[in-house]
Amino acid sequence: MSDRLRTTLSIGLLVVMAAAMLTLILTNPSDPDRVQAIGERIKCPVCQGESIANSPSAMAQDMMALVAERVDQGVSDDEIVAELLASYSGAVLLDPPVGGATLALWLVPVVAVILGVAVIWWWRRHPSPEPASEDGDAATSGGRLAPLLILGATLAVAVVVAGFFIQEREGPNEGVANLGAQDLDDVSNETMEAVIAANADNPQVDGMRLALAERYYEEGDFRSAFPHYLEVAGSENATDTQVATSLIRLGWMAWEGNAEAETATGLFDQALEIDPGSDTARYLKAQVLWCGSDAPEQAASLLEEVLADPDLSADSRTQVESDLAAIESGETCT
Amino acid sequence: MNRGLRWVGYGVALAGVVFAVVLASRFGVDPGLVDSPLLGKPAPEFTLAPLEGGDTVSLSDLQGEIVVVNFFASWCLQCRNEHQAITSTADAFADQGVTFVQISYQESPPVSLEYLKGAGRSDAALYLADPGSRTAIAYGVFGIPETFFVDEEGTVVGKIIGESDAMTLGATIDAIKRGETPGQSVTGDTQQRPDA
Amino acid sequence: MLALLGSAGMLVALIGAVLLVTRGIAAARRDAGVNLEGAARLLLAGAVATMAALVLALITDDFSLVYTANHHSTATPFPFDVATAWAALEGSIVLWGLILAGYTWFVFRRYRRAPDRLGAAALAVMGGVALFFFGLMITVANPFETCVQAAQVGCAVSSPWPLIAVDAPANGPGPNPLLQNHFMMAVHPPVLYLGYVGMTVPFAYAIGALALGVPGPEWLRRSHRSTLIAWSFLTLGILLGGWWAYEVLSWGGYWAWDPVENASLMPWLVATAFLHSGIVQQRRGMLQAWNFILVISAFALTILGTFLTRSGTINSVHSFTQSAIGPALLGFLVLVLVGSFALFSTRADLAASSPRMESLVSREGTFLANNLLLSVFAVVVLVGTTYPLILEAFTGTQVGVGEPFFNRITVPLSYLLLLVMGFGPITPWGRADGDLLWRRTRAPALVAMAGGLLTALLVTRIGWVVLSVTLALFVIGTMTGLLFEQARRRSVKTGDALSASLRQVVTGDGAFWSGQLSHCGVALIAIGMAFAANLGTHLEVGMSPGESTVFQGHTITYESPFQQSSTAVTVIGARLTVTDGTRLVAVMEPSFNLFGDQQSAVGTPDVLHTARGDIYVTLRDFPDETMAIRITLDTSPMIWILWLGGLVTVTGGLLAVRARRRERRVAVDRPTVDV
Repeated sequence: MSDRLRTTLSIGLLVVMAAAMLTLILTNPSDPDRVQAIGERIKCPVCQGESIANSPSAMAQDMMALVAERVDQGVSDDEIVAELLASYSGAVLLDPPVGGATLALWLVPVVAVILGVAVIWWWRRHPSPEPASEDGDAATSGGRLAPLLILGATLAVAVVVAGFFIQEREGPNEGVANLGAQDLDDVSNETMEAVIAANADNPQVDGMRLALAERYYEEGDFRSAFPHYLEVAGSENATDTQVATSLIRLGWMAWEGNAEAETATGLFDQALEIDPGSDTARYLKAQVLWCGSDAPEQAASLLEEVLADPDLSADSRTQVESDLAAIESGETCT
Repeated sequence: MNRGLRWVGYGVALAGVVFAVVLASRFGVDPGLVDSPLLGKPAPEFTLAPLEGGDTVSLSDLQGEIVVVNFFASWCLQCRNEHQAITSTADAFADQGVTFVQISYQESPPVSLEYLKGAGRSDAALYLADPGSRTAIAYGVFGIPETFFVDEEGTVVGKIIGESDAMTLGATIDAIKRGETPGQSVTGDTQQRPDA
Repeated sequence: MLALLGSAGMLVALIGAVLLVTRGIAAARRDAGVNLEGAARLLLAGAVATMAALVLALITDDFSLVYTANHHSTATPFPFDVATAWAALEGSIVLWGLILAGYTWFVFRRYRRAPDRLGAAALAVMGGVALFFFGLMITVANPFETCVQAAQVGCAVSSPWPLIAVDAPANGPGPNPLLQNHFMMAVHPPVLYLGYVGMTVPFAYAIGALALGVPGPEWLRRSHRSTLIAWSFLTLGILLGGWWAYEVLSWGGYWAWDPVENASLMPWLVATAFLHSGIVQQRRGMLQAWNFILVISAFALTILGTFLTRSGTINSVHSFTQSAIGPALLGFLVLVLVGSFALFSTRADLAASSPRMESLVSREGTFLANNLLLSVFAVVVLVGTTYPLILEAFTGTQVGVGEPFFNRITVPLSYLLLLVMGFGPITPWGRADGDLLWRRTRAPALVAMAGGLLTALLVTRIGWVVLSVTLALFVIGTMTGLLFEQARRRSVKTGDALSASLRQVVTGDGAFWSGQLSHCGVALIAIGMAFAANLGTHLEVGMSPGESTVFQGHTITYESPFQQSSTAVTVIGARLTVTDGTRLVAVMEPSFNLFGDQQSAVGTPDVLHTARGDIYVTLRDFPDETMAIRITLDTSPMIWILWLGGLVTVTGGLLAVRARRRERRVAVDRPTVDV
């Protein structure tokens, strides 16, 4: 067989086989598994980079079940993907679209090939001159190295410092979480109730409990304030001042709300035991004695004790003095 | 040729520095954190049965109220930590037009019920089962706990990723009542089902 | 005590590195005469002591070290206790330092045998890199911090001072469960690091040559040979990683385009490109500047890869928590890039090479095509891996880039590479004669086409599989044809038998034929990948004890759930029997493994290996109250061809190392393959 004939035969055979192969491939009765194909495009939200089609996790399986159901309902691929992206965002799409923000990504291989071919073409056109002799002057060139190294080192240090700085910048807690540290003034009563209820066993909760009770007290909502004052008054962890304040408030509410003079004076006495210097307790006790127990003498002596306190503010002093004058002039309380 | 090479060298070095600066800007950013696309959008509707069965509840039934949707499970440590805060906040805001909905995530209802028996529940909150995780998928849950805040108009206005506490929950509701949109915040790690 | 030993080791190594830099530079300037032995010894001894202290602390359960306290537990069995030495961030840097010191020692031994300025300069560069890594160890990634306040489990407060009073916890939480589920995790990281760190050696020679201003064949010869070593280990490391993922991670795949995998693939691609373009410079004196760029890039990519996997800027299964190590690695990367490429620019006149290329239709031409394709491949992987990060940094938009994108771009690139691979070895240097090419491709092309046609007729009509088989057969065919052509010619000339001539041809140009063996391996990988990826079947089924299901001709029966507990691990799984009609083929036990105090269970598949491929069984859920289970059954047809191909590729690389060493020793005048 001549070489020429052999060549012709070979080419013919190659063409025939290639045609047969292509026909077989192109007529492959492929049955594309749409569910699998869609699943491979979506990243499993609870895994590390796996698609929901590949992940064994229960969440991925549930998502695959949803995809299968939508496919059965006749929803299109893009609509199914869009449904998942609507809740999970584009970050879970493993298959970025050719267009929009990810168009550049798809252009990368094209640009890289063009650039590569251009470089090869240019290199073939521009052969370099003979390289300089190999015993180049290392000593002089060593001098030129220094600025480079300094430049590199400076940039490197800049990156390290910037990196540290940026890392420090962002803590894990942002947004509403910071409200936890905010002024209690901005916090609603309900929130404080919830915080107190959730931290009932926390020894540090007494401060917030008292603050909430004071707020109810000022709003005149004695019913809401009462249990909190009671808790603080009975708390082992509360400070003396906190307990004394609670006892005083409880006493005043007993008098104002229920006109229980004896309960009130008893509570004021307890408060005075804990905090003997409390002018408020003395003054309020005096009020109850004067108005409720009909004991103006005791009230007057208490008010004098209050006046004996050199730290008493000017306003308070005026008030106490006018009350004292009223008692001494035999007036009934108002 | 040589001049070309020279510029190639400088160019690559410069590109490297720019690249490094971009990378440096990512320090301190959790790469796994995704901004929820639901914020500012109508909350996905759900119709779910309570864990113990019975009549279903829909989100639309609760329209006009602030709805706090929390995904939980007994196997989730952070969920256990935050449970009491959720219960007490649900109680505290019960008559303030706020409803808490706790949806069991990737767990069978009997297991969740057993857990709630020990952890406690609020009379004001709803405890719902989510068969097939459909609602979790609709809300784009990555890991739990995740808590969504839906305002009176049915718009998602807030999301807490990770363990929340009573102050955070209450303050978020307060903010919504004032007409603010608290947005997304991260308080800590979330968890996936252990056998996943 | 061990903290003291380890800290001393780090310090000694650091001093060694400093001395190596200063004395290396002095030696490179003054043309030898400066002794580097002390510095190299200090570096090696320090690095060995550091690793020894860490390993000792782990096997003696010394919880006074924070590292041990937080990553080890008394229940951790051998070899995982030793492997823990590199399972966490600080330890992985220690392993890096040890391997780097080892490579430096080999570079030094070569220098001791024949001191020259290039060797001294390379040692100075290696010392500089070692300086960075041991500095990292001492400052921000110190594995020898001592525990001064124990927590319930692990350590609460630490101190960098080795002599401080310690408060050691009684036990630690143990290593990450994923890492102690398979012995491969003890082997995979060191092998991968041998590859990664090995890229420092060619880089050191390249920088040394640039700094000294001595271009030419010498730096290239040394860089090329050391790249071959590093490349072989890197290939093996990637292969082991894929095998581990397949056997342990229960999703049935071996490659997921995970950022960590991509980080190891990028230097591999660039090193592969250099292995080829280096030959062009050796044989034709061309592409020197390009070779400098490739060698520097390969090294920079190993640093970038380490940064991506260790800094926590990319979400990934292997990522460690964020630490100051991220900024440090990034700073080093900038230093490497700016320093190296600026140096390259100032030496552009030396880096350039003169000879002109005669024709694109030549061996050089195929190497150019190969380098173009591999470079584009590497760029695609680099951009694809970092694109979400870059885009979010600039626009705040969050996008995902994953398997579908990578597959769509890299699968066609790989087929083009296979095609070039088929032509490369049979194309002569200089200018290829069309008739010769046709003569050499005719028979292989016919065989390949016939093989492809038979595959389409008998096995599958899926295009990718048919194309893979055709191209792989073409690659193996052209190479076999060339081997026989040369052997026949030799046998005619010498009168030896054909078999003897075959052996003489192969041993006569060992480096070339080792490379061809690697090509064979790659061809096999292509076949294995195509079969496993396209012809697998999948079934998910729920079963109660005693029930059977038929899958791929096997009857799979669920016998019972089982539970085994040891101190280290509790295994909860399902026992399945696989029968072939009547004959019992295997008992399979897919399971969940729960380690120590760790929260999470690790799903562990069971794989039945057969000649036709694997049957892969995964448990979906713990057995429920009625002992019912859900399992998934998958087949991976012919996947063993993939593993075999990987091993053949690595073997080719290692044989080439040996062949090059022999060449250097014997300095035989090797016969050239071109005509």
